[in-house]
Amino acid sequence: MFEFDFFELTRATVTTVVGLTAVLASLGVILCSSPIYCALYLIGHMICLALLFLLYNAEFIAAVQIIVYAGAVMILFLFIIALLGGKKEIQEPSTERSIAIVFVATMLGELFLSATVGPTKPVEGEFDIQTVAEVGGSAKAIGLELFSRHLVSFELASALLLVATVGIICLSKFSYIPVRRRMK
Amino acid sequence: MGHQFVLLISATIFCVGAVGFLIRKNPLVMFMSVELMLNSVNFLLIGYSSFQNSMDGQIFALMIMTVAAAEVVVGLAIILTIFRTRHDMDVDHINTLKG
Amino acid sequence: MSWFGNGMSRKRAGLIGCGSVGLSFLITLIALVGFLLSEESEKGGVSTLYNWVTAGSFSLNMSILVDPLSVFMLLIITGVGFVIHIYSIGYMENDPEFSRFFSYLNFFIFSMSLLVLAADFFFLIVGWAFVGLASYLLIGFWKEKTSAVLAARKAFVMNVIGDVGMVIAAFIIFDHLGTLNFLEVFAAAKSTFRPNDDTILLITMFLLVGAFAKSAQIPLHTWLADAMEGPTPVSALIHAATMVTAGVYLIARCHVLYELAPFTMYLIASVGVVTAIFAGSMAMVQYDIKRVIAYSTMSQLGFMFLAVGVGMYSIAMFHLMTHAFFKALLFLSAGSVIHGLNDEQDIRKMGGLRHSMPVTHVTFLIGSLALAGFPLTSGFFSKEAIIINSYHADMGNIIFWAIAVLGAVMTGFYIFRVYFYVFSGQPQTDVHAHESPLIMIVPLGFLAFLSLTAGFGGGMIDSFLATYFGTNMPHPDDPILETIGLSAGLIGIVGAIGFYMTGKDGLEFAKQMLAPLYDLLFNKYYIDEIYDFLIVKPTRAIGAFLEKRVEKFGVDFAVDQVGVQTREVSRLISFWQSGSVRLYAFNMIVGVVTILMFVVFL
Repeated sequence: MFEFDFFELTRATVTTVVGLTAVLASLGVILCSSPIYCALYLIGHMICLALLFLLYNAEFIAAVQIIVYAGAVMILFLFIIALLGGKKEIQEPSTERSIAIVFVATMLGELFLSATVGPTKPVEGEFDIQTVAEVGGSAKAIGLELFSRHLVSFELASALLLVATVGIICLSKFSYIPVRRRMK
Repeated sequence: MGHQFVLLISATIFCVGAVGFLIRKNPLVMFMSVELMLNSVNFLLIGYSSFQNSMDGQIFALMIMTVAAAEVVVGLAIILTIFRTRHDMDVDHINTLKG
Repeated sequence: MSWFGNGMSRKRAGLIGCGSVGLSFLITLIALVGFLLSEESEKGGVSTLYNWVTAGSFSLNMSILVDPLSVFMLLIITGVGFVIHIYSIGYMENDPEFSRFFSYLNFFIFSMSLLVLAADFFFLIVGWAFVGLASYLLIGFWKEKTSAVLAARKAFVMNVIGDVGMVIAAFIIFDHLGTLNFLEVFAAAKSTFRPNDDTILLITMFLLVGAFAKSAQIPLHTWLADAMEGPTPVSALIHAATMVTAGVYLIARCHVLYELAPFTMYLIASVGVVTAIFAGSMAMVQYDIKRVIAYSTMSQLGFMFLAVGVGMYSIAMFHLMTHAFFKALLFLSAGSVIHGLNDEQDIRKMGGLRHSMPVTHVTFLIGSLALAGFPLTSGFFSKEAIIINSYHADMGNIIFWAIAVLGAVMTGFYIFRVYFYVFSGQPQTDVHAHESPLIMIVPLGFLAFLSLTAGFGGGMIDSFLATYFGTNMPHPDDPILETIGLSAGLIGIVGAIGFYMTGKDGLEFAKQMLAPLYDLLFNKYYIDEIYDFLIVKPTRAIGAFLEKRVEKFGVDFAVDQVGVQTREVSRLISFWQSGSVRLYAFNMIVGVVTILMFVVFL
């Protein structure tokens, strides 16, 4: 009766709760009327995701998620929302929305099916290259992997960031011609 | 059972993000739902990296985060450029590519 | 020459035109001499000039066949052609399109040579079609004359009917014997077919359609009379000497096939002899001088067909040769008359030209005597041979003979009727006739000489062609029939003298007595009208119907709809490109869903 593993049970419970929270937060993102609230919901969602990452032995990634994603990217989002704003839009159901929801629900169902049915069912296996269980998802592990086997992609990613920076600077330098107001 | 859980959560968040992209009019919220989708994929990768006992998933998730960051930056700049001079944040009204 | 158009001076165009034909004539003479000198077994040969098509086991070579028959025909073609070319220099001197005429004439000589030199059915048909084309071009030479253009079209259409028959025959031959080469076909035919076999009957009948169309036998004869709209040298060359004899040549060439189909031979003889009297009767009442001679051609061709129909091939070729001479002579003399009277062709308006055009008078007289078969002229020998053999040959019978005699009587009658109208009596017109220039007289004289003397070469020609036809044509000895045949032509001449010397009253009296018959004859037995009713009108109606219904609603509709539907579909598709980001994203989702469906369920 008390044979179950307490640790595992806690772990499972926490994982489930955090996952559900993440889902609820994402629902909040899409259903809110004001964009600021959507951004806040998104931040919450990202924190939940970071917690999940921690639960799955990816410490470094969790940290990066908080620092980069929830920290820098979302702040950027908030700045833009503050700059441009956006009215509160009330979500009302309409035909095209229903169609979209139907399609996406189908996609969801298919994804579930693919998880359980047939050849797409996930295979549990072991690849013992630098197994996670040994070193965990620490920064050292990431570093070892990143700079040895995935060096090229690392360099390319940095090049990508450079290009993005340059692009931003170019874009922001465009002089803009005011567009006539079409609707007020 | 961890498999199913990861898959479920990831699929759900992805579809929520897709719905959000299709439903909302505000371009910023649309962009945020794109972020949702990316995050769901990240989660899937991390989960499976732990199941497979390999670091590849985490590295890939790192790359995705990098790309997402760059993409957000550029996308927001574009949105800024387009919508700075208008007063309505409605994506349906930018249809000069019609036809 | 047609490139230079009117830029070239008359003399040079004439020189080139005649020179080329003269050269061909010389070459033919050389070939003839070569023939005569070589051994009997070496006569004839096929030389392959150019390999045109090779498709599997079937190969088509442009090759020419040089054997007695083709050399014989070629002599006539180039010889008479050369003479007529010289004549045309004088006849067409006032015509602005001098060079075009000569280029067409040369083209005609070329295609006729191709026809007789062809070594297989394919090039025979090619030459056949070319000759039809040349005929069309030459009949409609004077493009401004509507009647000429219509006549040219009529000739061409009827010739095409013949072409179709020939092509079908060629198909059947190829289907059964696998080759189109003359020598191979004739060798294989003897072993493949029984006499009066269905296939050989079909082949010969279809070839016959072609021969009848080209040689203007019933029922495909209506084009020849109208073909007189062309210039007179054209009528002389094409419709007297050469093109219309292509039908006879064809049958003589394929005599192996025809011997295997006696039924067809009987048909040929019957049609030939009927045409002979049919045309002769119509010639007796025509008023246009060229039309009379045209019907005379039709009638003489009937005689030739009679000859081949009873199996006397070399006699038919002999008559072909003599006919070429005296018919060309008659046409050219008539042309001289027309030219002298400033293009007047109605004999009622001519008269008393005996004194004003003496040389033409003499040549026309010689030609008429030859045509009627006056003793000792060339026409006499050949025609009399045909008449005799129509009874004595293996397939002849007394009816053929009787009708042939009747035809000979008519021949004498009609040609001397014309002679008396034109050359004797009083001048009916005020135009002062003058004799033709020397360049037109010399060919006339040459042809007259040949008309008188060629008759004695009958035996020589017989032995020359015997190597091809296999047998000699003996001259049967039958005193009674021979006498009657001899006198047939004379009876006709006497009848003409009697008729037209009695003066106008006798003519009017005869005309009123025989009024219905006269109408029938004058209007060519109304055959043109019958054809128009039976064939032309329904064809026109069908064409109009098809154009209105099928063309408008069928073909045009289909083609238009292709364009219209493309436009409509693209318009529908363009709705997709709305410029809305969300729609594009929606498309993407739909795509993902579809792919996932494939992934999951397959």
